[in-house]
Amino acid sequence: MLIYLLRRLLLMIPTLLGITVLVFTVMAMSPGGISAQTLVGGMDMKPQEKQALLNYYNKRYGLDKPAPLQYLHWLNNVLPIGFVMDEQGNQGDFSFTKGMDLGTSFQYGRPVADILVERIPITLLLNLVTIPVTYLIAIFVGMKSATHRGGRFDVGMGMSMLALWSIPTMLAGVLLLGFFANVQYFQWFPTSGLSSREALDMPFLPHWGAAGFVRGFLLDRLWHLILPVLCLSYGGFAALAKLTRTSILENLHSDYARTARAKGLAEHEVLWRHVFRNSLLPLITISAGLLPSLLAGSLIVEHIFSIDGMGQLAVEAVKGRDRELVLSITWVSGFLTLMGYLLADFCYTLADPRVSYD
Amino acid sequence: MIKTKLSGESYAARVWRKTRKGVGVEVGLAWIALLVFAAVFAPFLANSMPILMSKDGIISAPVLHYLSVEDAWVLASFFIALLLYKLKFRAGQRIALFLLGAIIAAVLVNVYVNPPKLVIYDDFRSPAYTQVDWRVMPPIPYAPTDYLRDLVSKGLEAPFETTGHLHLMGTEENGADVLSRMIHACRIALSIGLIASGIALFIGVIVGGLMGYFSGLADMLGMRLVEIFEDIPTLFLLLTFVAFFGRSLYMMMVIIGITGWSGYARYVRTEFLKLRKQDYVQAAVASGLPLSSILFRHMLPNGIAPLLVALSFGIAGAILSEATLSFLGLGVVDAPSWGQMLDQAVKSSSFNWWMAVFPGGAIFMTVFAYNLIGEAFRDAIDPKLSDESGTE
Repeated sequence: MLIYLLRRLLLMIPTLLGITVLVFTVMAMSPGGISAQTLVGGMDMKPQEKQALLNYYNKRYGLDKPAPLQYLHWLNNVLPIGFVMDEQGNQGDFSFTKGMDLGTSFQYGRPVADILVERIPITLLLNLVTIPVTYLIAIFVGMKSATHRGGRFDVGMGMSMLALWSIPTMLAGVLLLGFFANVQYFQWFPTSGLSSREALDMPFLPHWGAAGFVRGFLLDRLWHLILPVLCLSYGGFAALAKLTRTSILENLHSDYARTARAKGLAEHEVLWRHVFRNSLLPLITISAGLLPSLLAGSLIVEHIFSIDGMGQLAVEAVKGRDRELVLSITWVSGFLTLMGYLLADFCYTLADPRVSYD
Repeated sequence: MIKTKLSGESYAARVWRKTRKGVGVEVGLAWIALLVFAAVFAPFLANSMPILMSKDGIISAPVLHYLSVEDAWVLASFFIALLLYKLKFRAGQRIALFLLGAIIAAVLVNVYVNPPKLVIYDDFRSPAYTQVDWRVMPPIPYAPTDYLRDLVSKGLEAPFETTGHLHLMGTEENGADVLSRMIHACRIALSIGLIASGIALFIGVIVGGLMGYFSGLADMLGMRLVEIFEDIPTLFLLLTFVAFFGRSLYMMMVIIGITGWSGYARYVRTEFLKLRKQDYVQAAVASGLPLSSILFRHMLPNGIAPLLVALSFGIAGAILSEATLSFLGLGVVDAPSWGQMLDQAVKSSSFNWWMAVFPGGAIFMTVFAYNLIGEAFRDAIDPKLSDESGTE
């Protein structure tokens, strides 16, 4: 198992390198190249100031060198091991403990690492709430359609799931925001952010205080999460429900299910202990692919609901042509995706003892 | 004795017949046909100028006079396609002839169509165009880029709430008619869907085909490439491409195509891995056929069915990608697009429901139509679900 894990981790390295090379190439091939793109701003600076800034960037990121060298320069900065660079941008000794330098964001003027540490947990929270919701609904709907195959529920759900799947996230987001978080219609939910300003001073759990009911940080957070999570999850559970249905249908009439019934097991026992467990495998396979789509989905959802997560950051970084930020977001999201694949493979061994990686 | 019935129906015809029987497929096809009609005849359906008018006994057609190069080319291509559909040709010949015709039309149109550079829409509401003997106006008498300055359009007005001029779907932020922009945006949606997925399919077939046919090292390297493209969230890659390159329609098509090929490559690879050891492929290799002939004439037709299913879903995905990019403010700048209009629903301080419902509904219907067709097509080519296979 350990060897397998090691091999998988090593195989991630070329993929991650490839991802950064790809995005770097896109930026380098753009009109004017990377250095021109990052220096678009700063119109209000004096010429000397701008020149000083340019010199500093050149030293730190090697913007005056050709693109392949710039990439190596960036890679050296980001990797935890590599050559130590001094203030003048000269190459020093090889070191194993130099630490990662993700650079400074051009548009925020802050270290990229700090920004990422702030933003990643928010997107992860959104997705970690979304995934269980997605699976619960998908398994319920899929199971019911499969056991009542051809019935009214099955046909109706089949159609509505395909329809749900086709609704663009932005349409759902805009409609939800417009109708349920708007003074013109129903202002049931907050319009933006993940918690209200006053919720930061509240205790964590809801309770009755002197001034009546205090909803607490937790309830406030949940209240803010409802619309974004709804938006993020419906596409996922629509696709998953269809998959669950097919997968369960395949196993429902298999030999082992018949044997289980012949033994005299109750039908729900057959369903949940035998059929369901065998139907889980394709669902797990899909879960790995779900993560990139969720990350992409958070891009839109965070944009609509003004949540300051990774997705929102990605849009801002790309719009601002913020080289350091774009590259870091690229490899971080690639890394998260690859970890998702790895996790899915481990879930395989849990669901199916026949699968082993030795 | 079992009586066998022989059917002279070809595989393609059978699959098509079964696809048509799928739930909702007719609706999907009808919707796409409607979009094609709107896209081709957009200048005649929604325009500020009369289609035909007679002034002082002289009959003129201002729409034709102001017809842009693109409009003319789309019209010409449409009629070439219609003509080829009526004539009897083989499928391959039809495609080749259509491409040839479209290219010739493009050249001719570029030479002979010279619309006036400047169009002032206010003029069409001046006496020169209104005080005439008779005139035929398009059903929606507003052009998509006609911001109705002379009618004092405030912008973002709800349907039917304007005085003096009627807007069935309201106006957008600059004051242009939403329905008119919706009709003209059909063109972007359809062309992006078809051409972007065409490019993606082309790259995917070549990369996947080579990977599957050679397997071994080529497969290993190719799969790493596929993984790279799969592991970046596609939307993010798209954003990066669009932000760092231009924002023209053609660039957008290429970009969506370049970022979307990995799925097709996977499909083709699995098919080709299955097929490469088949006898007929071995025979083709033994008879010394060139590689392109083995790959595309002998292997590809046998693995094309699942690819077409993927294509149908891919078109839906490409339309969605364009809408999303426009929604995030990174779309085509000057042309009307559904996603860009959807963005205006929440842009201003109030919620403008008509900017969400109509363009968003159009995106939804189009994506749904392609998904319905893809779904039915997948069921049609699945032998397990066939009527003749006596299970259940």
